[in-house]
Amino acid sequence: MQTKPFMARWLSGCAMAALALGLAASAHAQKRGGTLVMLVQPEPPTLASYASTAAPIGQVTAKIFDGLAEYDFNLKPVPSLAESWTIAPDGKTITFKLRRDVKFHDGKPFTSADVRFSVLEVLAKVHPRGPGTFREVKAIDTPDPHTAIFRLENPAPYLMMALSGYESPMLPQHVYGAGDIKAHPNANRPVGTGPFKFVDWQKGQFVRLDRNPDYWKKDRPYLDRIVARFVSDSATRTASIERGEAQSAGMAAIYYSDVRRLEKLPAIEVTTRGYEMSSPVVELIFNTKVKPFDDVRVRQAVSHAIDRQWIIDNVWFGFGKPATGPINSNYAASGIYTNAVKRYQVPNGVEIANRLLDEAGYKRGANGVRFEIVHDITPYGEEWRRLGEYVQQALDKVGIKATLRYEDVPAWLRRVYTAYDFQLSSNWLQNLADPVIGVHRAFHSKSIRAGTVFVNASRWSDPKADELMDRASLENDPAKRAALYHELQKIVVEAAPNVWTHELLFSTVHARRVKNIATSPLGVFSSYDQVWLDN
Amino acid sequence: MSLTAQRTRYVLRRLMQAVPVVLAIVVINFLLLQLAEGDAADVLAGEAGSATPEYMAALRTKFGLDQPIFLQLLAYVRNVALLDLGHSFRHDTAVATLIAGRLGPTLLLMLSAMAIAILVGTLLGVLAATGLNTWRDNLIAVLALLAYATPLFWIGLMMIVVFSIHAGWFPVSGMENVAAFHTGWTRVADIARHLVLPAITLSLFYLALYARLMRASMLEQSGMDYVTTARAKGLTETRITSRHVVRNALLPVVTMAGVQIGNLVGGSVVVESVFGWPGLGLLAFDSLFARDLNLLMGIFLLSACLVVAVNLVIDIVYALLDPRIEVR
Repeated sequence: MQTKPFMARWLSGCAMAALALGLAASAHAQKRGGTLVMLVQPEPPTLASYASTAAPIGQVTAKIFDGLAEYDFNLKPVPSLAESWTIAPDGKTITFKLRRDVKFHDGKPFTSADVRFSVLEVLAKVHPRGPGTFREVKAIDTPDPHTAIFRLENPAPYLMMALSGYESPMLPQHVYGAGDIKAHPNANRPVGTGPFKFVDWQKGQFVRLDRNPDYWKKDRPYLDRIVARFVSDSATRTASIERGEAQSAGMAAIYYSDVRRLEKLPAIEVTTRGYEMSSPVVELIFNTKVKPFDDVRVRQAVSHAIDRQWIIDNVWFGFGKPATGPINSNYAASGIYTNAVKRYQVPNGVEIANRLLDEAGYKRGANGVRFEIVHDITPYGEEWRRLGEYVQQALDKVGIKATLRYEDVPAWLRRVYTAYDFQLSSNWLQNLADPVIGVHRAFHSKSIRAGTVFVNASRWSDPKADELMDRASLENDPAKRAALYHELQKIVVEAAPNVWTHELLFSTVHARRVKNIATSPLGVFSSYDQVWLDN
Repeated sequence: MSLTAQRTRYVLRRLMQAVPVVLAIVVINFLLLQLAEGDAADVLAGEAGSATPEYMAALRTKFGLDQPIFLQLLAYVRNVALLDLGHSFRHDTAVATLIAGRLGPTLLLMLSAMAIAILVGTLLGVLAATGLNTWRDNLIAVLALLAYATPLFWIGLMMIVVFSIHAGWFPVSGMENVAAFHTGWTRVADIARHLVLPAITLSLFYLALYARLMRASMLEQSGMDYVTTARAKGLTETRITSRHVVRNALLPVVTMAGVQIGNLVGGSVVVESVFGWPGLGLLAFDSLFARDLNLLMGIFLLSACLVVAVNLVIDIVYALLDPRIEVR
C-alpha cells in the first residue's frame, strides 16, 4: 500500500528534476544584459497610450504598461496581471483574480482599485476605442484588493480580446487619478507595472527605458535597457540597421524594397510574425452616395478590374496576401473568417468588368472612355502613391479615366471622413483583436459619423448587415458567432462598398543577435520581457 | 553725440520698429495657417487608427478648435504679448519647452555649418581670385559648381554610405550614441563626432556660394584705385590682399551670410531628416503635417525675431568692417 504513493512521489520527483534541468538550460541560453536600440517611426506625439492608439506610442508604452491579459498565437487570452478569470454562463459577469506580487514602478502595489480606475475612469472615457470596447461594462466591483468583478449590461465577447498592455494599459490610480486625465503631467512620463521603466525622453531623438528590477515575472526582463530611436529619413533608418547602430525596426519603419535588400545580409533577420492582432486589410473605398459608385454593378466592376497579386508583387514587394473580403484570414483560427464569398479575383476579370459597366448604362464614348473620376491617393507614403497609379492604369483598361489627387494627411482625412467630398480613395482597415472593434466600424450604419476618421466613409449600410453585427457583438457561443460573421462577409462582399485588395504583411527587421523578438501576436506592441541579445 | 550713445539710440529705435513687424507676422501666420484643410484632432485620431465621435469632439473642445477663429486669434495674440507661446496639445507640452529643447542642437549644427562655410568659402574665394585663371581657380570653380548643384539629401546619403557604412569613421545618425549614454568630456567628443557629417553636408551649399561671391568681390576690389595706391606705396601683394582687398571684399559675403543665418535658425529639414539631428526644422515640418498650429506659430515667431535681430547685428558689423558706414 506504501508503494503507490512512493512511486508517485518518485516519479513526480523525477519530473521536477527534469523540469528544473530544462528551466536551467533555457535560462542559460538566454543571456542577461545589453541595450536594444529599436527604431520607431514616426516619433510618438505623447506616451499616453490610454488616450491614443497611435502605433508609435504603443510600440514604446507596451514595454511600460502591462494589461490584465496577454495573447498567444491562437489569439487566446493568457494570464498577465490577472492570474485567472471566470466568465459567468450568461456572459454578464467576468471575475478577474489579480496577482498579489505586482508593484508599480514607484513601488506602490497594483490592486483592483487600479483596474476599476483604469477601465471606468480612463479607458472608457478618453481612449479612442475604449468607449466601444467597454460600452457594456456598467460597474466594476472590488470586494478585495485582488479581485475585480466586471458587471456587464450585455455579453461582450470582444472584451476579452482587448486586455493587452497595448490596448488597455493598467494605470496607477495614485498617479493618474490626480488632475485632468486629458492633459496629465504624466502623459509624457508614464508609470506602469511593466518590465521597463521610463527614464528619459529627448524629443526628436530617443526615449530611454531601463530594466525594472522588481518586475513580477522572476528574472525578466533579460535586457538592461531599451532605447526607442526616431530617425525621420527612411534611407538613414536602413543605414542605421545595416551598420548595427539600431537593432530592430518594426511596422513599416524600413521601406519594403530595403527590407528585401537587408534580409540578404548575414547579420540581419526579417520576420512577419507578430502582427496577427493588427490584421490590416488594404482597401479602395467608394463613395456609395454619389455617381457613378452608387451603382453596385460599377463597384463590382472596379473590384473585378483590379489585379490583387500584381499589387502585392509590384507595389508591396511581396509583403501581402490577396484579400477576399473585409475580414483578415488571421481570423481563420477562431473560425470567423470565410472565403466562401463572391470572388472578384478571376482570370476574366476585365471582361466581366466591361460587361457590368455596359449593363450599368455607362457605355464607352467615342474616345473609349465611359466616365471620368478623381482618385484620392492615401498620403501615407511611396507605396500608396504607387497603388494610386496602378488603380489609374487598371481602370483605364475598362474605360474609366481616373485623375489622381494628392493632399497631405489632415486635408485628405477631412475630405474623406468629414466632407465626403471624394469618389474613390484608399486606406487600410486594421481588423484588430476582434471584428467588433476593428470591422464593424467600417460597415455599420451607426458608424456613418462625419468628422470621425476611419469609420464608414463609403456610407454603405444594410439593415440585414447591421442586424448580423449587432447579434455578433452579443453572441458568446463561438460557433454561432462565426456563422453570423460568415453571413456578414457574404453580404458585404457582394455589395462591394470597398475593394479589398490584400492583407498587408508588416515585417520586423532585426539584427540576428536579437532573440525572441516575436513571441506574441502583438509583436512590436508586446512587452519585450523575453527579448535577449546574443553576443 | 558720442558714437556709443548714437549706436545705442539706433539699436533702440530699430527694436521699437520691430514690434509692429513681429505683431503683423503673428497675425499673418495665424490667418495663413487657418487656410490649411483639416485640424489637429483629425490628425491625432488618424494616427490612432480609430476614434469615437465623442473622442473627436472632446479633442476639439480641449484644443479650443470649437471657438470662432477671431476669438482664437485674439487669445493667441494676447498670450504672445504676455510672452506665452501656448501649449502644444499634440505633444502635451508647453511650446516654449519644446522649442528650447531643439534650439541647442539647431544652433550647434547651424553655427558649425556657417562657420565652415564662411571660413572655407572665403578662403577658397581668395585662393581662386589670387590664382585667377590658373588650374587652382578652375578646380575651385568646378568644385563649387558641384557642391552648389548637388541636392543636399543626396550628398548626405552619400556621406553616410562612404564615411559611415564603408569607412566606419562616423556614426550614421543622431546627435549622440544612445546605447552608451556618455557623460562629461566623452559626451562632448561623442557629439562632436556625430556633428561632423551633418555640418559638412549643410555647409557645402553655402560654402560654394561664398567661394564664388568672395572671388567675384575680390576681383572687383582689386581693380579699385586704393589698391593701385597701395601698390604705388610699395606694399607687398600679400599685404595688399590681406590688409585691404579681403577686408573690403568681405562685405557682400557678410551681407549674404546675415540673410542666410536668419534662414538657418529655422533649421534645415533635409539635413536634420537625413542625419536624424533633433533640430527645429524637422519639428516645424512635422508640426505642419500634424496641424500643431501653436507649435508651428511659435517656431515662426522665433525665426522672425531672429531675422530681425540678425539684421540689426549685421548692420553693426558693417560699421565695424568699414568705418565709413555710419549707423544713425
